[in-house]
Amino acid sequence: MTATQSPADCTEAPPYDPAGRPPTPAGRQSDRRLRLVGLNRIGRAFHGLAIATAAGVVALLGAVVLVLLEASGGSSARTGPAFLVGQTWDPVHNVYGALPAISGTIATSGLALLFAVPVAIGVAIFLTEFVPRRLREPIAALVDLSAAVPSVVWGFWAILVVAPFVGHSVEPVLARWTGGAGPFARPPTGFDVLSASVVLAIMVLPTISAISRSALGAVPRSQREAALSLGATRSEAAWLSVLRPARSGIVAGILLGFGRAAGEAVIVVGLIGNVYALPTSLFAQGQTIAGEILNDLNSGLPPERSALVELGLLLLVVTVLVQLAARGIVRWAEASRPRFGSDRSGRATRILREFGSGGLPPDPGPGAPAAPGRRPHPRTRPGHRRIVRRARGIAAVALTGAATTLALLPLVSVLGTAISFGGVAAVHPSFYTSELPAACPAIAQASCPIGGIGPAIQGTLLLVGLASLVAVPVGILAGVYLSEYGRGRGTSIVRLAADLLVGIPSVLIGLFVVVVLLQGAPALDNTALAGALALGVLMVPIVTRATEEALKAVPQAAREAALALGFPRHRATIRVVLPSARYGLITGIFLAVARAGGETAAVVLTAFGSPYWFAGLNHPVSSLTLVIFEQGSQSSYSNWQADAWGAALVLLVLMLGVSVAARLMARGATRPDPEA
Amino acid sequence: MSGKLNVDGLNAWYGRQQVLYDLTLDLPESGVTAVIGPSGCGKTTFLRCLNRLHDELPGARVDGRVLLDGTDVRRLEATEVRARIGMVFQKPTPFSHMSIYENVAAGPRLLGLHRREDLDRAVWASLVRAGLWEEVRDDVDALGTSLSGGQQQRLCIARAIAVEPEVLLMDEPCSALDPIATAKVERLIAELKERYTIVIVTHNLPQARRVSDRTAFFYLGKVVEFDRTSAVFDHPKEALTENYVQGRFG
Repeated sequence: MTATQSPADCTEAPPYDPAGRPPTPAGRQSDRRLRLVGLNRIGRAFHGLAIATAAGVVALLGAVVLVLLEASGGSSARTGPAFLVGQTWDPVHNVYGALPAISGTIATSGLALLFAVPVAIGVAIFLTEFVPRRLREPIAALVDLSAAVPSVVWGFWAILVVAPFVGHSVEPVLARWTGGAGPFARPPTGFDVLSASVVLAIMVLPTISAISRSALGAVPRSQREAALSLGATRSEAAWLSVLRPARSGIVAGILLGFGRAAGEAVIVVGLIGNVYALPTSLFAQGQTIAGEILNDLNSGLPPERSALVELGLLLLVVTVLVQLAARGIVRWAEASRPRFGSDRSGRATRILREFGSGGLPPDPGPGAPAAPGRRPHPRTRPGHRRIVRRARGIAAVALTGAATTLALLPLVSVLGTAISFGGVAAVHPSFYTSELPAACPAIAQASCPIGGIGPAIQGTLLLVGLASLVAVPVGILAGVYLSEYGRGRGTSIVRLAADLLVGIPSVLIGLFVVVVLLQGAPALDNTALAGALALGVLMVPIVTRATEEALKAVPQAAREAALALGFPRHRATIRVVLPSARYGLITGIFLAVARAGGETAAVVLTAFGSPYWFAGLNHPVSSLTLVIFEQGSQSSYSNWQADAWGAALVLLVLMLGVSVAARLMARGATRPDPEA
Repeated sequence: MSGKLNVDGLNAWYGRQQVLYDLTLDLPESGVTAVIGPSGCGKTTFLRCLNRLHDELPGARVDGRVLLDGTDVRRLEATEVRARIGMVFQKPTPFSHMSIYENVAAGPRLLGLHRREDLDRAVWASLVRAGLWEEVRDDVDALGTSLSGGQQQRLCIARAIAVEPEVLLMDEPCSALDPIATAKVERLIAELKERYTIVIVTHNLPQARRVSDRTAFFYLGKVVEFDRTSAVFDHPKEALTENYVQGRFG
């Protein structure tokens, strides 16, 4: 664009030359032209690169789907549709049926939503409508922090805290009340469908409440004030003016929560009891799709692996459909402005028209006696309704406040547990530099050697570092494409692909990487490289979307100002847009790094884990999450337990630290621009 | 003490910033009171103190007394105050998800009116009084937000009067409307003043002159002059007022 403009226009005024060279119009012109040609070439290259990476994101989604589809072929050819209804999983005789895993997944995620949704909505309402302004931010930050706790830490904590509580205090009581009938049959153990669902609920609660909160917060203040000005109490105002417009956003949050619960593997494996059978009772052991993949993939022979991939494909379809539904609901609510309110029958129109034609006096005039049969205005009636309204208001605040307290308990408990069990190990400097100790039985506790998690820290840094090295630039470029270059259909496809990738359960990403490596480079399965690859795949879409959001927050005027100065688009992007968006960018990268650092399922399947120091990219490697996952279940060795808790404490501190830093950064990003 | 609303030594703050200084005025039972003054002089805050909506803002503080029929509004429940003192906002604020009918019925429902016939009658009467009935009679089940801006504002007036308030506060009700819609709302104000004590904040001086019986001129959070409208506009006592009403500043 700039190159076609005649540079002669610019030379009429005495030109400014910072180098102090004498103005030689002809020479300057050719200089400028050369420079512009060069710039345009770079610009085209940058544009092409951005398009290519964006296309890569779409291709990645396609690859996940196609690879899983292809690799499940063996199993589906052998079993056919009977796979869906078969009830056994027998690698010895090669008989595979998915029904127990499917029903286990539906049961645990459904129950998890049943527990989480009322609490999450209560939290959202309490925070947007009732809590004093000063307390709102800190409490919201605490609730959001729970979302930063890695699922392996929730699972480890739950084995120690939730399962015994549910098994000893909740289930026996439930069984006694119900007489052990129907869903309450079987002896309570604490490691069953109910426990797994409770912990899944704890995990998805912050997600659902955060999305609900932003839906409630998006309703303009004027709507609340309109309700208040009619004499509504605060809770009535929330009910009247806020909840219904926010409904679609809340439903979308619930759907996304369902997707996360259905795809969670680590928590399930820790708590459900791992029995491949139909979940006939709340107290029955069971299995889910994600749990079965995590348990069996590393040890499975090719026929079983193919059946596991087919299970994974089912989970993929479910999570993709759930996400499409969530998007659809929000889009539908935005696009179709429904013509009717909640009463679609047109009743009011009919009745009121009769009034109109009946010619009733519209206005009795001031001081006129009330019409016969007309009740006195309710405001003039004494008291009891006022008490009822007040009580309702207090009840609403109390209930939502209780929900918020309940939502904060797990975070408090997990922190307290990690400090009390892992604190001893974590204060030793050698804990960070030495290997795991030799196994030591609980009886010999006092003389047990205190080990360390040096290899795990090294492994986590290595895996996340390698993954970031590739994923961060790729994600940023794809995000730049979405925000700066994208138009029309191509953009929405890339965005959809990134969103769907973000929502694909990590156990499936691990499965994808394993399948690809086993076909292409079997030697690389169960190595550090495989682990980094899986984490990279997890990170790319997160960085992409975070970059897009951060760049979109840069006011259009900043771009136009740079373009008006004659900046080519790529320079405007690099020099103006990216630097202005730096806080948002760093925040997004932080969150992606945290996500990768806290990931377990994908790492178990790909990097395998190892008790030793890093031995090369083509060897298995340890990580913080793997230590917790592996050693945490070895409850007979107390020093391993202590090590795992130390690792959990370190991981928690890291994750919460990153989350707090990201929050502060995001605040820094929004402060200087009060207009936006 | 006479009048419907007596304001006595009212001060108001947003955080540390004081916006109203020691206001004292008596608003008579009948007629329209206009509040005029340059932007940021506290007109809207004054209005929002009358129905205690100011209390709802974070960091807001009020001191002094607002008497409604001789009772301090701060000693009444906020819900009762707001049911007795209705309000119409600058931008039309129909509840975005409700039909015309439901919008108007929202207030009476809050107050416990649940019998269908009573609700129907209240909604219908309010729509008639707000001058909207003829325009919406064919479809009161349509969404409130499907109406034009002027119609939405009259819907908000209908919604406010459905609660049968004694006072009606209007915060620049016409500033978002075109001249024809403005004329309709002004005609409506003239009709409604028979029945309600009306306080209207406006930037539009000719409008203040057309619709009001009394005018208060605010400047920097203080009342400079409060008198019959004709007196304020034609024979202002203060030089500041004279400058403002003649368009020499503000």
